[in-house]
Amino acid sequence: MHKTILFLLITISSYTLKGQTTGYTPVANLAKFTEQFATIAQKTETIKSDFLQEKNLSMLSEKISSRGKFWFKKENMLRMEYEKPYEYLMILNKDNMYIKDGKKESRVSVKSNKIFQQINKIIVGCVQGAVFNNPDFKMNAYENKGVYMVELVPVAKVLKEFFKNIDITIDKKDYSVTTIVMNENSGDNTTLHFTNRELNTPIPDALFAVK
Amino acid sequence: MLVGCSSVYKNLQPATGDINYIGKFRPDFRLALYKTEVDVVGHHLSGLLLIKTLPDSSVRIVFSNEVGFKFFDFEFRPDGGFKVYYVVKQMDKKPVIKTLKKDFELIMLREQDIRNGYLGKDDHALYYIIKRPKGFFCYVTDKEGTELERMEISSPRKPIVQAIMRNYKNGVPDTIGITHKNFSFAIALKRIER
Repeated sequence: MHKTILFLLITISSYTLKGQTTGYTPVANLAKFTEQFATIAQKTETIKSDFLQEKNLSMLSEKISSRGKFWFKKENMLRMEYEKPYEYLMILNKDNMYIKDGKKESRVSVKSNKIFQQINKIIVGCVQGAVFNNPDFKMNAYENKGVYMVELVPVAKVLKEFFKNIDITIDKKDYSVTTIVMNENSGDNTTLHFTNRELNTPIPDALFAVK
Repeated sequence: MLVGCSSVYKNLQPATGDINYIGKFRPDFRLALYKTEVDVVGHHLSGLLLIKTLPDSSVRIVFSNEVGFKFFDFEFRPDGGFKVYYVVKQMDKKPVIKTLKKDFELIMLREQDIRNGYLGKDDHALYYIIKRPKGFFCYVTDKEGTELERMEISSPRKPIVQAIMRNYKNGVPDTIGITHKNFSFAIALKRIER
C-alpha cells in the first residue's frame, strides 16, 4: 500500500513540464529569475485551477486524458480532484496524504517515509518555487519571448528510475506555472496543463481535510 | 477421456461440439480503457488499464495510476510471444509477471490457446477446456452456449483463478473480474467511456 501511494506521490510530483529547448535560449540571469519566481510565490497564498492531464503512450500512439480541479493553499496543502472520465481525489495536507478512489479511502503519513518527504518537498516546491533549490535535481532554465521553461533533471537515484526529466513552463507575465511535463525514460510522458487559474481567492481549510 | 486428462474436471461428461465456438466470447480489444482496482494481500491499488491491438495484431496492455505513473506495459504477440516493455521495479518479479500474463491470456481467449481444447458438460453447463503446460484454462458457458458464465485457470487439481466478463458492448466487455483462489489477489475492471 505504501508503495502504491508512493507511486502516486511520485507521479504527482512529476508535474513535469515537458518542453524541448527548440526556440529557447538559456535564461540570461538565472539568479534573478529564481528570485523573482520565489518573490511571486511568496505572495501566493492560494491557487485554484482547472487541469488537463494527458498521459502520452508514445509507442501506442495513444493519449489518456483526464480533467479535474486543483487547489493549493499555503503552506503545504494540495487537493487534486479528477472529475472526468473518472473520479479520483487526492489530498496532501502537510505530513498526511488522503486518497479516495471510488469508495476506497486511504491515508498515509508522509513523515513515515523519507521518500514521501522528498516528494512532498518537490510538489509544494514546484508551486512555491523552492523546487529550484532542491539538490535532488539539476536545473536548467530556458526562455523565449513568452515563457520560461525549467528543466529538472533528477540526481537522486530513486527519482532517476521514474523520470528522465521534468519540464515546467512558466508564463512570463505572472510567473504562473502553466504546464508540467514528466518525461519517463521509456519516451512516454504525463503532461499537466493548468487553466482558469485564480490566485489568492479564499479556500477553506476543510477542502484539505484528511478525515 | 476427460477423466484421464484432468482430475479437476473429472466429473464432467464428454460433450460434442466445436471448441472454437468459445471464440465468440473473445473480446474485441481494438482499443479499450478500464478503470482498474487491484486488491492484493490487504493492499489496494487503483489505476487505468489501456488495452490496444496494434496493426500487427499484437495486443498491448498498459497499466498506470490515475495520476499517470506507469506500473507496467506488456505485449502479447499473435504468435503467442510475450514481451515486457516496462514494469516498475517493485513489480519486477517473475511470479508477479507470470501471474499477470496468465490472467490476461485467460481473458483474451486467444485463438492459438483454444485450438487444442476439448469439451465437457454437466447438468448445468458446457466446459471448454484448454490444456496448458501446468494445468488448464476452462471457459464455462450455459448449456446452450449463449452466456459465458465464468473462466478458470486450474492447476491439475483445482481452479486457482476465476474470472468473469460481462455486458459486452460492440464486442468489448464492460466489466471484467479476476479472482485468485490460492492467495488474496483480485482485479476488477470497469470500462471507461472516453
